[in-house]
Amino acid sequence: MSKAASIPSAVRRPLSFERGSLTLFGSLAVLIAGLVSLDTGLTGVGLFILGGLLGVVFLLFQYGFASVWRHALVRGEVMGLAAHFLLIGLCAIVFIPASALGLSAAGTVAPVTISLFVGAFIFGLGMQLANGCGSGVLYSFGSGSGRMMVALPFFIIGSVLGSFLLPSALGWGSVGPVAIAGGLSDGLRTIVNLSFISVAGFGFYLLGRHRGQQLSKRLVLACLVIAALCWAVFVLSGHPWGVTFGFTLWGAKLAQDIGIPVENFTFWQWPGPARALSHSLLSDISSLMNIGMVLGAAMVAAGSGQLSRQNWPSGQQLVAAAVGGVLMGIGARLSFGCNIGAFLGGIASGSLHGWIWFVVAMTGSWAGIQIRPRFGLEK
Amino acid sequence: MILSPKKIYLMLIVLGAILMTFDHLTSNALTDVGSPSELGNACAPCGAPCVDNQSK
Repeated sequence: MSKAASIPSAVRRPLSFERGSLTLFGSLAVLIAGLVSLDTGLTGVGLFILGGLLGVVFLLFQYGFASVWRHALVRGEVMGLAAHFLLIGLCAIVFIPASALGLSAAGTVAPVTISLFVGAFIFGLGMQLANGCGSGVLYSFGSGSGRMMVALPFFIIGSVLGSFLLPSALGWGSVGPVAIAGGLSDGLRTIVNLSFISVAGFGFYLLGRHRGQQLSKRLVLACLVIAALCWAVFVLSGHPWGVTFGFTLWGAKLAQDIGIPVENFTFWQWPGPARALSHSLLSDISSLMNIGMVLGAAMVAAGSGQLSRQNWPSGQQLVAAAVGGVLMGIGARLSFGCNIGAFLGGIASGSLHGWIWFVVAMTGSWAGIQIRPRFGLEK
Repeated sequence: MILSPKKIYLMLIVLGAILMTFDHLTSNALTDVGSPSELGNACAPCGAPCVDNQSK
């Protein structure tokens, strides 16, 4: 008698579900890689794979932002923030001196606008209600989280609403893009920005040590691996990794499918968004990497049996996920990104908007934490 | 009866895959992957144009 035949059927059934899921996700990954290779070649396939690897790494290390920020604000646990700045510093080493390193890539220096303040606050608030940020929603959705199955569609809806609002929101006031030490050479600019990042990172680290906290080796390893993947994305795509434009594009295409003339809105007439809207979403870097991230996390979840262990949170918490998703979507568009595009990508590119995003989104997170108990969520 | 998360999840994945494939097959494709910040007078990752010193 074979070993498999000796296992009771009740035990075998969950395994076959996981295997079936793994086969489905693997087949989808191969299909997408095939479609992408026909149009955008190895670059597209490479970015799809990098998205998948980011999904795997984020899920395996449970790397996130929302819970780290909440624990910092509620419990005073700041080692996670030190780790965030370690990751940002590692990325900055490549992003800021890109041209001096001979790379045909450039960082993200976005404008400092009133909408940045409003959007970052809204995003921070929504992030605490939904229990995840842009990347967190993606990889948790990939792992089968019931909460994120609600948060993601509402994130998409919110980001389309945000795309309708952004053009007029830019009129509220702007001082334009501000590159920190922008007048200096690439080398000096890198040194100045790394100094600021180090002050923040070491500041949180020393504060944590003072409080008796430890920076785990596992967290440091996660930062090193994610930084290496971010470097690869930067070199291959020419830009820092971004998440939320993909959501906006998915929502806009779906809105078009149900007859909403999205293309008539100002945002979708700007050259970049207009091109994305009129072409396959597999041609859009953010979309392609997001799909990869979901499938990467999905394969890990299926392989580890996590898919079968997911349960629905309470109705109140699902409402919080929906509200948080909409707020994050609107906030991300008004503030030029999420924890990945604005916080990580912005600061690592030496852009002042990234620092402002961090401070204001942290304030929004504090507000969101105060509201969480009303939705049955702990502070 | 409420469906379990894994059933809803698989339905969403399959639906998403169908929509993505439909979009890909019915849309023009670029010969290289693109980002909205690459075109026009873009100042942000989403492709928003530069609006220096603009206030009302």
